[in-house]
This record gives sequence, C-alpha cells and structure tokens, in this order.
Amino acid sequence: MMEAQEEKKAAPRRMDVRLYFRQQPVMLALVAGLGVMFFLATAGLSRAYHTQRNALGSRWFNRAVGDLKAGNFVSAMNESRSALLYSRDNYGYQLTLAEALIGLKRTDEAYSYLVNLWDRQPEDGVVNLELARIAAQRGRTEQAQRYYNNAIYAVWPGDQEGKRRDTRVELIEYLLRIHSTAEAQAELIALEQNLGDDAAQQEHAGDLFVRAQDYEHALGAYHMALKSDPHNMAALAGAGLAAFQLGRYPLAERYLQEAVASNAGDTKSEDLLKTTEEVLRMDPFRRQISVAHRDDIVVDAFETAGQRLKSCGMTSSSAMPVGAQATLADSWAKMKPQISAGNLRRDPDLVEEAMDLVFRIERQTNATCGTPEGADLALLLIAKLHEGS
Amino acid sequence: MDPEINSEAVTDSALDRVVIDSDQPVVTRPVNGHSPKALLKSVFREERFFLILSVFIGIFSGLAVVCFRFAIGWCRLYLLGSGAVLSPTRLLLAPTLAGLVIAVLVIHVFPLARGSGVNQTKAALYIYNGYIPFRTAIGKFITAALAIGSGHSLGPEDPSLQIGACLASVLGRQMRLSRDRMRLIAPVGAAAGLAAAFNAPISAVLFVIEEVIGRWTAGILGSVVLSAVSSVVVMRAFLGSESLFRIPAVQLERPSELIAYAILGVVGGLAAVVFSTGISTLRPKFKALPLWTQYFQPAVAGLLIGVIAWLGAPQVMGAGYEAMDEAMHGRFTWQFLAMLAGLKIVATLLSFVSGTPGGMFAPTLFIGAMLGAAVGGAEHVFMPHLTGSPGTYALVGMGVLFAGFLRAPMTSVFMVLEVSGNYSIILPVIVANTIAYVISRGLQPIAIFDALTRQDGLELPSMEEQREEGILHVEDAMRPVDGPVLDAQGTVEQAWLAAEPAKADEMMVRLSPSGWSSVTKEQLRTLAADGKGGASLVSVLASAPIPALHPDLPLETALRYVDRWPLVPVVSRADFRQLEGVISQRDVLERYREFGES
Repeated sequence: MMEAQEEKKAAPRRMDVRLYFRQQPVMLALVAGLGVMFFLATAGLSRAYHTQRNALGSRWFNRAVGDLKAGNFVSAMNESRSALLYSRDNYGYQLTLAEALIGLKRTDEAYSYLVNLWDRQPEDGVVNLELARIAAQRGRTEQAQRYYNNAIYAVWPGDQEGKRRDTRVELIEYLLRIHSTAEAQAELIALEQNLGDDAAQQEHAGDLFVRAQDYEHALGAYHMALKSDPHNMAALAGAGLAAFQLGRYPLAERYLQEAVASNAGDTKSEDLLKTTEEVLRMDPFRRQISVAHRDDIVVDAFETAGQRLKSCGMTSSSAMPVGAQATLADSWAKMKPQISAGNLRRDPDLVEEAMDLVFRIERQTNATCGTPEGADLALLLIAKLHEGS
Repeated sequence: MDPEINSEAVTDSALDRVVIDSDQPVVTRPVNGHSPKALLKSVFREERFFLILSVFIGIFSGLAVVCFRFAIGWCRLYLLGSGAVLSPTRLLLAPTLAGLVIAVLVIHVFPLARGSGVNQTKAALYIYNGYIPFRTAIGKFITAALAIGSGHSLGPEDPSLQIGACLASVLGRQMRLSRDRMRLIAPVGAAAGLAAAFNAPISAVLFVIEEVIGRWTAGILGSVVLSAVSSVVVMRAFLGSESLFRIPAVQLERPSELIAYAILGVVGGLAAVVFSTGISTLRPKFKALPLWTQYFQPAVAGLLIGVIAWLGAPQVMGAGYEAMDEAMHGRFTWQFLAMLAGLKIVATLLSFVSGTPGGMFAPTLFIGAMLGAAVGGAEHVFMPHLTGSPGTYALVGMGVLFAGFLRAPMTSVFMVLEVSGNYSIILPVIVANTIAYVISRGLQPIAIFDALTRQDGLELPSMEEQREEGILHVEDAMRPVDGPVLDAQGTVEQAWLAAEPAKADEMMVRLSPSGWSSVTKEQLRTLAADGKGGASLVSVLASAPIPALHPDLPLETALRYVDRWPLVPVVSRADFRQLEGVISQRDVLERYREFGES
C-alpha cells in the first residue's frame, strides 16, 4: 500500500524530469555536451591520423632525399610524390620533387612547383636558384638574373655565406656564357670583396676575371691565391696568363717559368712562355740592353717582318689589299739597304722608323693573313705593347 | 493597420499612408521586460533558437566530415597502400572486393545510402518534412569511405553534404522543431557538410541556395551561412586552412586571350553533355537489370576501374585530387590529359551507375581540370604566345564542368575562386563557365539532378526551371484607372458631379497629405441625396486608408489585399500620390489564368 502511494508520488516527478529534458535550453546544453565529446573524440582520431601520416610522409621523404643524393631521380620523384600524399603542402617535399624533376630534365613540371614554392617563400635561396637555372635554360635572361640576384641575397640553410658566394659565381658564369661581360665584371668585383684567403676560391675568381677579360683583377686574385699557396700550379699559370695579357712580360715570364717547372704537362703555359720569351728577346725598346744588342734586334725584326710580308703576299694574294701590300713592300724594299747594325748605330732615328714599319707590316698581315706564330707573333705583341707610346 | 505589414515598410504616418514595400513581411515583436525568464524566452524563440542550432549543426557536420576524411584516408592506405605508385594486385583487387562489400551493405543494411546524396537532401526538404534517418548518415559514411578509399571514381563532397543534412535532421527532431523549421533544417546541414568537404563556405551556401532550396529567403540564409561557417571553422581546426589548389596569379596580357578560355568553355560544355547523357542513359538500364546483378555491379565497376588504372591511368581512381594538383603543375602532356578526362568519365559512369555510394563533385572537377589543362596545352602548341599556365586552364576547366554538368553557374564561379584562393582568375572563369552552361543547357534541357530525381520516381522541383520561370508582377495585372480620381478635400457634391458620368462604380480617392481610399458611385449618390453634398469627402469616408502597391511587386503580394478591398491602388515609387493604375481580385485571378494557359 505504502509502495503504491510512493509510486503515485514518483510518477509525476518522473514526468517532470521528462518534461524538463524536453525543454530547449536543456536539450541545447545536452547537445553542447555531446558536441564536446564528439570534438574530443575527433581530436583523438585526428592526432592518430596525422601522426601516422606524418610518419609515412617522413619515411617516403627520407627515401626521396637519399635517392636524390644518389642521382636516382625516378625513384626520388616517385617517393616525393608518395610523401606529398601525406602532406600535400609540405615545402620540403615539394622542393625535393622539384629537384628530382629537374634531375629528370622535366623542367616544365619542376618550374610549376618551384613557382608555387616561391609564392610561399620568395626569400628561399634554393628555390630562387633553381628558378634562375630554369629561366637561364629557357633563355629568359632578365628573369634568370632576377632570380639569381634573389638567391644571392636569400636565406640559405647551412653555410649561408658559402651558398651565396657559389650562387654569385654561378651568376657570373651565366653572364659570361651570354657574353654580358660588363655585368660579369661588376659581379666579380662584388665577389672579390667577399672572398677570403682560400687559394682555391681566389684561383677560381682569377679564372673568372680572365674570362671576363679583367686581367688586372685576375692577376690580383692569382696573387692572393699564391700568397696562401705559392706552389698552386693553376694560379701560377693563371697569373702568367694575366700578366702576359697585361703586357707585363717579365712578370709573365717569371710566373710561367714556375708554372712549367711545377707542371711539365702544362703545354698551354709552355707555349705562352715561349711567346713571352720571344717577346722579351725581340723587343728593342726594353731597358737594360746595349745599343749594339738593340740594333741587332732591329735588324732581325726587320728581316722577320719582310719574310712575313712575303709569305702573306704569297699565301693570300686576294686577301691582302694590293695597294697596301705594294706600299708596305715598297717601303720595306726602300728601307732594306739602310738597315744594318752600323747605320742604326749612326742614325738612332732609323731604329724608330724601322720598327714602325715592322709594326705596320705585322698589324696589316695579322688583319689579312691571320694570327702569326713565333717571332711574328712576338713582334705583333710588341707592336701592341708600344701602341700608345 | 494590417498586422502582416512590415512596420518598417510603413512610412510617414501609418494612418495617412500605407505602402507595401516588401513581399516578405517581417513581424517584429518587442521583448516584454528584461527579466531572466523573459530574456531566455526571447532567446529561445524558434527563429532565434534555429540560428543557435545552426551553429551546432555546423559543428557536428564539420566534425563528421573530418572523421569521414580520416576514414577515406585510412581506407586508401590499407586498401591501396601507402605509396603513389600502386601495386597491380591492389589496383585490381581493392576496388573489386570493396565493391562486393558495398553492394551487400547497400542492399541489406543501408538502402538509402545509394547515389550522391544531393537529391536525397532535396527530397527531405520537399517530401519528407526534413526527415532523414540517422542510419543513412552511418551508411553513407561507411560505404562512401570504402568506395572512395578503395579507388572507385567518386568524390567525398556529396556524401558529406548528405551526412551534414542527416545530422541536422536528427538534431532538429531531438529539438522538436516545428514542421516548417524541420523542412529547412536539411539544407542547413547540407551547406555545413559541403562547406567542410570543400573548405569553401561561400560555394556551399550558394550551392544549397541554387540547387536545393532554390530561392534566397532571409529566414533560411542566416542559418545556412552560420552552419557553413561554423563547419568550416571546425574542419580547418583539424585539417588546416590551405585552399584546395594553389596556382600563381593569372595575368591576362591581352584581352584576346579570353578567346582561348572561350574555346575551353565550348569543349567543357560538350564534355558535360556527354557525361550527363551517359549517366542519365545508363543508370536506368543498370537499375533495370535483375536484382542479383546488383550484388556484383559495384564489384565489376571496381574491377574495370582497376583495369584502367593497371593499364596506365591510376589517376582515375578515387577522388583524384592529387592528380588534379599534378595536372596543374604541368606534369602531363595535353594528349595524356585529354585521355585522362575521357577515362575519368568512363570510370565515374561505371562507379555511379552501378549504385556505388559516392559523390560526383570531385569527378566533375577532375574531368574539368584534365580537360582544361589539355585544351590549354593544345592551344599552347598552336598559339605559343598565350600566357596562361596549365594550372590556370585546369582551374578554369573545373569551373566549366561544374557549370556545365552540375548546372550551378553561380556556385561554379565562386567555387573556383574559393578552392584556389585566387581572385585574378575570375574573368576567364566567368567567360568559360557561361559558355559551358549555355551549351549544356541548350543540348541537355534537363539538368542531371533533375534527371536522376525523375528516374527515381520523385517529383522534386527543378531549381533550374524555377530560376528560369517568369514571375508575374503587379504591373502585369493592373489596369488603368477608368474613372475620375477624387480629391478627399473636395465636397461630396463635387465628387458626385465628377463620378456620375463615369462608367466605373468604384472611384479612387486621394487623401491629404497622402494615402488612398475609395468610394462607390452609389455611396456618393446616397450622400448627395441625404443632403450631405456640402460636406467634405474626407469627413464622410468611413474606411481606413487602403494599402498601396507598386508596379514591380510580385503579383502574389497583391493577393493579400485584393480580397479585402475591391480596388487596390498601384502607385509610383517616386511619387506616392501618382496613381499608376488599380488592381482588383478579378484582375489578379484573370492574369494567373492567362499565365497558366500560356
């Protein structure tokens, strides 16, 4: 009986509770609670999902990097693509893929990835450098130079200064390839300021200066290289060449002699040394020689020029203007009887006149018959050396 | 004053002049008092409660879509492997075996999980009062994840839309919403699901308005936007906020380059027709096959897709977003891209008509991207001066197929902008999408969703037809005033003298300073006979001012007034005292009859 009464009292209470739970604010609170639980569960799943994907992505990426280093570009490409399945926007994965594509010469694809990467990080050195290379390949000079310059001032991983220097060197080489010598020289001067005492770097800079035809700076760079490493064969040869180009033949002779002595197989330096020695031997205006020796040199030079004139006239009758040949030949023939050691000693002005004719003959024959060899080449170089004097 | 009239629409003195300025009157009621109970009551009034609920729907849908994406990812990983290069065994076996499992689940456990989900959501809105069984969401989640993860050529967006709609329906039922609200709740959830799937709230809202609801109404727009935004916020919290595709900014160096995109619009429009014709032709044929074949249809479709992949086109498997990304980065030649577009049409046809649950959004985007990049590539061969990148053409191609196949032109434009986060592409997109839409509309009068609905024996309203349906306005039914317009300040005698020769029985009276009333010839005659000829007309007019209409208002607005007043004035918006015409109940009905017959 009591239980029935209790039951009767409890029934409206249960009804009240049910009604209470039907009210919208209560329902909303319940839904919010459910939402929180759902959120937490999703967060747990998300953590598991992303952890797994990150692990898979890293695994594929590491394989791709390994294959890229080993030059297995196809594997590197597939592995990068696999890595990207797990992190489509991962910068490193995309960059590896782009590098693999570049390795496979699929530059159009690589370019597309690189441009996207550039949009995300325009200050990335690697991306700018790769874009510069692609632009250079495509012949887009302005674009290439812009990307190279970006790369020079960009952020690089690891040895930042070294990477920037290498990039500048690459830009210089590119400029030299497209014959932008003036721009290359400007970049080289900037490069020189950032070079340390490293002999190899100085030597490479010297080579680049030579290619840019800036022999003065080239000689300076080789000199710096030789300071650190006096027996650097390439630097000795380079310094000899630079000094030769500058017309500093005694200095060139010294460097080239050392170069040939330290590297007997360096035939280029050997040839250059021969020419240098010839120049030094045949230059009548050099200091510290006796008058008699000078006059002998002039007689020799005059004879050599006459031979050159004759041979040039014989081998290329049509090439040399008839009038010019006739004039030079006439002048040479007219002066020939006067050219003897005695006459030269008596009339010092004759030395000037004789050598002037010799230089004219060598220049004219060089223009019409091509670069001479041996003594004629030496005379031509001496002519150039004394051109302004 | 008419209680339905928007209080804000009634200008000047409400007693003097009543002008109906909106076809959607909004009734605003003041909050009575500031007690906590009154405040709670105010907050939980149904329309406000609906807005709050929309946020919850968005959150739940966003979470569900995130889980759905995880499920697809895991299915893909365990069924197809972890690498980009897939083994032949998995290529052939995974979609086939998954197809068998899916068939059993769809036939025996989740029969409503079939198809894409868009039409089911529309059916919930128009037929089932917003009711979608919770089991449908579970079924869609499992079967679609299995299908897409195993490589069937389907996408996750439409299932996400349906899952969102289903969750919204469940929440609405639990909250005991009114039937009106329940009807609207499915589209709210659908927008949330789609927004999370695409990471594109604007496109999702537009799609739901364009394709599911079919009209812009203030009552639903707020809820749809809130749910879409909240779902995207949740989704981004878990999956990041990066746009789906990234391409560099597009620069049109010459306006003539738009011709190249116009060509893409033509090609895309034709491809959309081929694709939709294929689906609407093959689907009923597959459905008509004996019941036992339905156990094997998804498996056979899966096997054939596996064969396509094995023969050299694994890109057609699954949603294909990775392949789209690669196409945008110029990975493929234009010939291969064109082939991929064709193969994807075949693969999607196989998957969809076999009854495998999954969406058509992603395949549509895939086909569009490949076609776009192919057309762009081919154009570059013949017109090397074009500056558009493969990514640009692929992106425009996506919009083109979306406009041509799904026939949602506005959504197609915004979708491209949102998935790329790139506004600079808008001009080519608008040009190409419009052309594709017009071609598709011309060659295939029935949109794909409408065709599928009719094949299923349902009669849902066609949003496209609704959009293009003519709307009658007040000016279509009004007629000129055929009697004198009387001045309320004049005397009854003057009014009677003016009205007597007129043929019309009812005269309009211009009130001062503004507003309108009417009086019959009989009333004037009686007043004059009673010796009230010298009284001013305004003193004897018994009735309240008549609400005035404007010529551009929808004709249905007039229906609310013409049964209470024999003549309703139609006035100019510029000058409310200038009478443009009058309209009566008979005029309205007559016009509707003529419209129905035409």
